Amino acid sequence: MAQETRWGRFRRSEAASGYLLVSPTAAYAILLLAAPLAMIILYSVFRDGYLTVIPAFTFDNYVETWSSPIYRSVMIRSLSVSMAVTLVTVLLAYPVAYFVSFHVDPSRKSLWLFLITIPFWTSYLIRVFLWKVILGYNGVVNSALMSIGVIDEPLTWINYNIQAFVVTLAHAYAPFAILPIFVAMEKIDRSLLEAGQDLGESRLMTFWRVTLPLSMAGVVAAVLIVFIPVIGDYVTPNLIGGGKIPMIANMIENLMLVRDNKPLGSAIAVSAMLIVTVVSLIFVFLNRRFLGGTK
Amino acid sequence: MAAPGARPAQTMIEFRDVHKYYGDYHALRGITATIRAGEFFSLLGPSGCGKTTLLRTIAGFEGISSGVVLIDGKDVAAVPANKRPTNMVFQSYAIFPHLTVEQNVGFGLRREGLSKEALAARVAEALEMVGLKGYGARAAHALSGGQRQRVALARALILKPKVLLLDEPLSALDKKMREQMQVELIRLQRQVGITFILVTHDQEEALVMSDRIAVMFEGEIAQLADPETLYRRPNSKKVADFIGTMNFLPASILSESDGQIEVEAKGFGRVTLAADQAPGAATGGEAMVGFRPETLTILFDGQQATDRETMATIEEVVYYGDMTYYDVKLDGMDSATRISMRNVFGRPVLDIGTRTRIAWSPGALVLFR
Repeated sequence: MAQETRWGRFRRSEAASGYLLVSPTAAYAILLLAAPLAMIILYSVFRDGYLTVIPAFTFDNYVETWSSPIYRSVMIRSLSVSMAVTLVTVLLAYPVAYFVSFHVDPSRKSLWLFLITIPFWTSYLIRVFLWKVILGYNGVVNSALMSIGVIDEPLTWINYNIQAFVVTLAHAYAPFAILPIFVAMEKIDRSLLEAGQDLGESRLMTFWRVTLPLSMAGVVAAVLIVFIPVIGDYVTPNLIGGGKIPMIANMIENLMLVRDNKPLGSAIAVSAMLIVTVVSLIFVFLNRRFLGGTK
Repeated sequence: MAAPGARPAQTMIEFRDVHKYYGDYHALRGITATIRAGEFFSLLGPSGCGKTTLLRTIAGFEGISSGVVLIDGKDVAAVPANKRPTNMVFQSYAIFPHLTVEQNVGFGLRREGLSKEALAARVAEALEMVGLKGYGARAAHALSGGQRQRVALARALILKPKVLLLDEPLSALDKKMREQMQVELIRLQRQVGITFILVTHDQEEALVMSDRIAVMFEGEIAQLADPETLYRRPNSKKVADFIGTMNFLPASILSESDGQIEVEAKGFGRVTLAADQAPGAATGGEAMVGFRPETLTILFDGQQATDRETMATIEEVVYYGDMTYYDVKLDGMDSATRISMRNVFGRPVLDIGTRTRIAWSPGALVLFR
């Protein structure tokens, strides 16, 4: 009997068919995610020579990113907008998830979930644009208030500012926050709530001592799902902020395409990614702690 | 069992004509019963008979449609679950997964405002009582089924309730563990003296553990009695069938006077029964006499019947090691009846087809009519 080669054995193994199955996805990911990412990282340590990139190693771009007050303040703005959006979204999503999980008849739950996903029927861009129409200087809110005589001239504090970002983004990300919290609540054994009351606690205290801690895993997941994409949001600052209040994504776009300083833009992008990674890791760690008790 | 000479038992729980509807479904149909203080009481019945619903009306998780539930003399209609002097061991145990064993057991003590030391001492005491000393710091999810149940027990008993409610607490355990926990529950109940109310569908479990048992069918209590009465004098064919095995023979009632009932039973002939041998109300159906398999005895050579004797043919033999079940056809009968015999060393197991003498006693018969 011929000695079987290592390759021959591998070709028939389960691992081989596994690799075969993931290969299209893997190729796609490498081509469209890993490769551009590698390029960005490479650019970030190259020198800028206006309109060209000089392939000479330098850390100057990072030094400028972390020392320039402009980039720092834009990064801080991105972080604070993202935190505010996350806070508002999760605080609003929690009661909705609670209602659907605990007070909606089981046979109606899927209908409710279906209704919650309705905003997704419209493109994200259009939803953001609609908020511009609603909140704008001559928008729905202002013209309505003026026509019924509540105000004489358009309100300015509802548009072109951070509050408007938060309203727009909180609306856009609400379903993403509701669903993980809902799933975590669905997993709570209802007899635990009866046990809480049986042991002498009121409904409110049972919620505080049983339901809330057991749904925290879903809350942490919701926080992560909202926080990460909002930090890099590009459309809302552009449309709602009129381009005058840039967030980090707008800054990167400006450097890359307008000022054509790819190395600095790349360095800011990489730095933003690192910050998001650190924040996410903190949440993942929290999540693991909460999940640890509920296995 | 209640100790002899115990003071007359007080009533702990009283149901007065309790009805419960779920929409059109009539789940409890006029329950009237009392449960005494300090007794081990079981609600026994097949699934869907309303026994868990009845238990939950005591706990306060289930409202009632009409009637009255009294706990320790107080109408509890307006008392929410968290204010009732009852605690429950749930079928799923309902151990809080995000808390340790200690935190689970001490959950209900928060409102007592104990110091940290006093709380720890109470929890340790409760854990020791259920045999979980030293398990306090464990995470709830690291416990086995039996341990979870003990935590649930400790968590309920630590609050010193007047009534402990147990909703099929043993059904999730394997046979050996279940038997061990049965004995432990009885011991625990004697130790703490609290009224225990157990819901179970396992008739053996109810017989082993209870002072009294309420057998329920379709939302009604069919019979409420101590285990021995329930076994020896079931008041209906349905109860007799649900608890253990019972043979039924067609019979006709000849006369009835002065607490004596003359019956002609197929296979047994003419017998006189005492009034307590007909515990059930007349249903107007066909009369039957019933007897348990162990009340008939096969007579071996040289043995004499202490009461009556008849002849039979063995039709089937089922050997169980310590017991043998014989299906025998009594002379004058068309169908077989089951007899169980304890196997004694040196005595043969009889073969199919053997003709044998059978000893029986009219006192073992129960009349259903």
